[in-house]
Amino acid sequence: MSDILRAPAEVKYAEELDWLESVDTGSKPFSWRLSPKMVRTFVLGSERADGLNREITQKWFGDRSIVERAIVTLASDRGLLLIGDPGTGKSWLAELLAAAISRNSTLVVQGTAGTTEDHIKYSWNVSMVIAKGQSRDSMIPSPIMTAMEGGVIGRFEELTRSTSDVQDALISILSEKYVSIPELDDNNIVFAKPGFSVIATANSRDRGVNDLSSALKRRFNFVRIPVVTNKKSEAEIVRFRTEELLRRHAIDLEVPPTLLDVLLQSFADLRTASAAATSDDEKLESALSTAEQIGVLEDAVLHSTFFGERELTAQTLAGSLVGSLARRSPEDLAILSTYWHGVIEPRSQNEGGEWTGFLEGGRQAISVLS
Amino acid sequence: MSQVFEPLRQQLLDAASTFTDGPAALPEILAGLVDDVDHSLAEPLEIFPVCHHSPASALAMGRRLREKQPKVIYLELCEDLQPLLTELRNCRLPVALQAFASELEGFPATWGPLSVVAPVTEASAEYQAIAYALETPGVELVLVDRSADHVFQWAPDEPDGQDREEPEDDLHGDAVGVEIGDLRPRFAELEQHLLHHGQVRHWSEWWDQYVEQPLAGADHDTYRQVMTLVGSLFRRLTPAGTRRLESDEERERFMWTRIRSHLAQSGVEREDCLYVCGAFHAVSRVAEAGSQPGTPDLEITPRSGTTWLYGLIPSSHSAIEAQFGLAPGSVSIAAATWEKGLNRFGLKPFRLQGQKGTRRRAAKALPPAVAAEPATDRLTEYLAAPAAPGGLDDEELRGWCVDLVRLARRNGYLASTADAIAVYETSVLLASMRGRARPTPYDFQDAAVTCIEKDVVPGRRDVRRLCEILLGGDKVGQVGYEALPPLAKDVHDRLEPLGLDLQARKIRRALIDLVANPELAGCSRLLWRLQYLLPGHAVRTVMGSRRLGERSVQESWDLDLGRHQRTLIELGYEGVTAEQVLEQRLRRSVRDPKATAADALDAVEDSLRLLDSPRLSDELGIRAVELLAAERTVDDAPLVLARIRRLIAYFESPAHPGGSLPSWCEQFVKAGYAHYCTLLPMSFADEETGVRQVAAMLGFLFSMESLALSLGCERTQLEMSVQQSVPHGPAKTALFWAARHQLGDLAVGDLRHNCDELLANPLVLPSFPHYVSGFVHALEPVPRLAPFVVETLSKAFARLPDPVLLPWLPTLITTLKQDAPELVPVLTREAGRTFPGTLSALDTWTAPWNRMAQKSPAPRQLPVPAASTARRLLDAHPLTALGVAALLGRTSEWSAAPAVAAPDQEPAVIGPAKKLRETHPDTTDAMASLIGG
Repeated sequence: MSDILRAPAEVKYAEELDWLESVDTGSKPFSWRLSPKMVRTFVLGSERADGLNREITQKWFGDRSIVERAIVTLASDRGLLLIGDPGTGKSWLAELLAAAISRNSTLVVQGTAGTTEDHIKYSWNVSMVIAKGQSRDSMIPSPIMTAMEGGVIGRFEELTRSTSDVQDALISILSEKYVSIPELDDNNIVFAKPGFSVIATANSRDRGVNDLSSALKRRFNFVRIPVVTNKKSEAEIVRFRTEELLRRHAIDLEVPPTLLDVLLQSFADLRTASAAATSDDEKLESALSTAEQIGVLEDAVLHSTFFGERELTAQTLAGSLVGSLARRSPEDLAILSTYWHGVIEPRSQNEGGEWTGFLEGGRQAISVLS
Repeated sequence: MSQVFEPLRQQLLDAASTFTDGPAALPEILAGLVDDVDHSLAEPLEIFPVCHHSPASALAMGRRLREKQPKVIYLELCEDLQPLLTELRNCRLPVALQAFASELEGFPATWGPLSVVAPVTEASAEYQAIAYALETPGVELVLVDRSADHVFQWAPDEPDGQDREEPEDDLHGDAVGVEIGDLRPRFAELEQHLLHHGQVRHWSEWWDQYVEQPLAGADHDTYRQVMTLVGSLFRRLTPAGTRRLESDEERERFMWTRIRSHLAQSGVEREDCLYVCGAFHAVSRVAEAGSQPGTPDLEITPRSGTTWLYGLIPSSHSAIEAQFGLAPGSVSIAAATWEKGLNRFGLKPFRLQGQKGTRRRAAKALPPAVAAEPATDRLTEYLAAPAAPGGLDDEELRGWCVDLVRLARRNGYLASTADAIAVYETSVLLASMRGRARPTPYDFQDAAVTCIEKDVVPGRRDVRRLCEILLGGDKVGQVGYEALPPLAKDVHDRLEPLGLDLQARKIRRALIDLVANPELAGCSRLLWRLQYLLPGHAVRTVMGSRRLGERSVQESWDLDLGRHQRTLIELGYEGVTAEQVLEQRLRRSVRDPKATAADALDAVEDSLRLLDSPRLSDELGIRAVELLAAERTVDDAPLVLARIRRLIAYFESPAHPGGSLPSWCEQFVKAGYAHYCTLLPMSFADEETGVRQVAAMLGFLFSMESLALSLGCERTQLEMSVQQSVPHGPAKTALFWAARHQLGDLAVGDLRHNCDELLANPLVLPSFPHYVSGFVHALEPVPRLAPFVVETLSKAFARLPDPVLLPWLPTLITTLKQDAPELVPVLTREAGRTFPGTLSALDTWTAPWNRMAQKSPAPRQLPVPAASTARRLLDAHPLTALGVAALLGRTSEWSAAPAVAAPDQEPAVIGPAKKLRETHPDTTDAMASLIGG
């Protein structure tokens, strides 16, 4: 077990990336480590028709054209903005792309209300400035500036969470592709090397992309990532991510497929209910994304490992589902309670199986919370 | 078996043995493909395989027709659609040939109306064949596929329409689509596999890339062999025993049987004929296939008794795509490719003379036919060559990028030249990533979405749609005036005075001022009829109404007949004029086994509103009487009451030309009186019958009473039926009391007493609201009960405990709102009269019923002087008094008043005189002074 809790993609899949690079014969734009087709293979997994003599696993699940459009954008002059509901895998896709293209996915600026222009451009090591004066040595480059200097991909997470004036600092970086440092007399421009680009992510839930200035919008290609509604691929994603998490915790526990079905079905039901709701009070606060499902499952697995019978049961799963979805005390609980009595109860009577335990566990959890 | 394909067959078999271990189906399939092609080419009657909406098929067809110039063309299209084909001249394509049946015989009634459509576009092989055959003298076109009737005879179960949302997609309605050359993998895995490895998203895209483009410029042999090969591939990979395959084979038997019988009858040489069918059918191996005389025939079942009507309806690219599951925009792209192909290869397409939407070109005589050469193997070359680098050329792509950005800007996107460059770059990159040398229209579409679409604004066209518009856009066909059915022509003729172009595909506003232009009254009448017959958007009133007895002075209409041509055409299948159809529909509605008296009254009203035909109205009215007499329930009583009241009011109003009640109406009232009297006891007792129904029955009986009695009904009938009634439940009990009150059995005092008793009894208190509801309903039959109802309601509010009152209030409000909205004004008016209007008056106010209770015990003060005056007057003129009395029929002796009469003790005898004096003081005084009293 490595001593990193969560290794970045380029470390985790280092061996696979090395191998892909060694067999890649396609033409590579700029300083890319892999050709666009290989990047796609790395993200979406290999097929027999690709003619590779080793299997590459699928790491991001979604429409192929989304990935293609994203890769192509990075090869073009524009930055890439991934938009979608929380938990649709935007950041994961961004990380995979950065790892595959430039073997470095850690040059990340996290957009928050407190992000300043310094975080995007550069700042100064104050004590060094006092000791030696302003120079390139006493300058602290931001991750974006580092990416420019190295000709690699820089990432900007949650772009819309930062304020508009800070966002606009990106405009000149994306169009002129250099940052000037007026404080210095010479060597005062940092030019981007070929291969530099930015992958930004934005959440379409809370503030939306309308806060972006149109000047900045123009410099990004938008790729919208939909919530996964296909049950089969969702099951695939949940299984893939949970296995990874379990491996990280070194837990050896089987997730029965019937329970996975129960989880997927209940999320699908709740999504339908949310879509049909007319006011915010009638729908759960949660976006009910795939990531949320993974969270529920992980929670249940951990709970049964440490406090349970070392076996995942429907009761525990129901408990974690209620626990993670009930965020607002009267509203969310009321919705869950209605769901449990109106949908799960008849279903457990008709179908039985895991639903009976699920009903029991959910009832207990709701009564404890309310 | 010919030797032409032997090397290819051997090559495929070798490949099969290399890639599979041991015996498998692969060698059989691969060799079978070649055998199929060989077999199809060996047929003496030339088979021309096509695919639907394929420009390559159309181009190849055009070339082949020029070369071969066949004398007879057999076409895979429903045989009964043949007479429609010449009408195509009058239409702008795309239009659809339609067979329509609403009177079914031999099919389940739930299927109706049945409709089959076969869309025809210009970029299709079938249109080339049709145009060639109709424009070239001496050429016969024979449709050989099963008739529309057989489509449904062979249908497995109920034909279901797909859900479509876009209005343009809905041009075909819920018709069953038939098309020539349906060619698509028959099982999902194969299609998925092909799409995945072709790196395309939709079947249309795959087809375009791998078949369409390589074949666009191919010679006839290559085209024919490759299409047959593709047809054979899909046929051999079709799961056996499916319903669809069975139906396809049945159709092949049908077509070959028809072809052979035509060949035998006409005696034409097989070499002079061309059989145009889908590639799937070109490789048919059913026993009945083949033009060889003596091949077994299919026993063709006779058509059912259903009457089929035929016509043309407008169609559109998007409607075709939606109906046949093609990718959005694919038919438009096919049309663009067709135009491009014509230019590129310098071909002249066949067109029908006078076709709308095409340029007029002088028809030139065709060059002499070219003799056929023996076929050589073209398949090996085709299969071995890589996919041709089709797609867009640079010039075209650049043009599209610029045009798209312009279009996007017009549609509210912030798009600039920089975006055009980005779209260009991205489409090239995307194409290379997907392994294509040049971007296809679909790559271009993806690139445009990536670069231009930033956020989704509801109501704005998305970029994908803009691309479709750019690549040709949706084209909507139109059926020309000459090809319209008589009803539609008649409608257009009669709306002519409005001076609007009703064929145009936009909404026209018609303003009709009936005072200034009384000649437009006919148009107005027709429009009202059309609005009734075509519910939806074809004809909409903006201003004006035509309720019973109403005529608007000015009317304003939105007419959208151009876009709703289909509904008008389908209306034309029902009759020759709108009036005839309307009359038929009204008749049908009252003859329906489920029709009720209320429905019939509604039909009468519609006939009075829309048709000036007293004869029809009377007929419908007589039917209403029959229906009422036959009814065994009273569920419709409220509707019947409301409608007959409205009708009687109309008949008695000056708006009605006759001015008197028609005889059916009198009969209806008589029959209704007897009918409801009979059913009244049962309805009171029946648990199922609601209060509202009983109230409506009583309403009918009481409000029509005078009319019914004048027509010879007996009041005793009503009295007896009320006597027999035993009400069930509190609400009906209250209604029963109200009825008895109306008949004079129960005074208001008794009613009040009953209510007070109920309120005093704690056991019945919870059900008191039901009594109140009953009284509220009683307002309908007994309107003079209004003060009492207000009183009861006030008492209920005052004295009912909250746990009983509060849950009942919402019920009261909803009941009033839903069931008796017309009673609310009566109640509020009465309440306004009863309660004080100002806050200050409220302090000193006592309710009238309480006031009365206080006053009643007080002794009555009688105005003595007036009485004694009268007495004195009479005493003074006893003879006159006796004379008047004798005139009135009373003879008696005069007895004078006692001399001293106590002022407060009035003798009983003078009661009437006193009353007379009281009521008419002036008259009696004047009379007294006249006679000197």
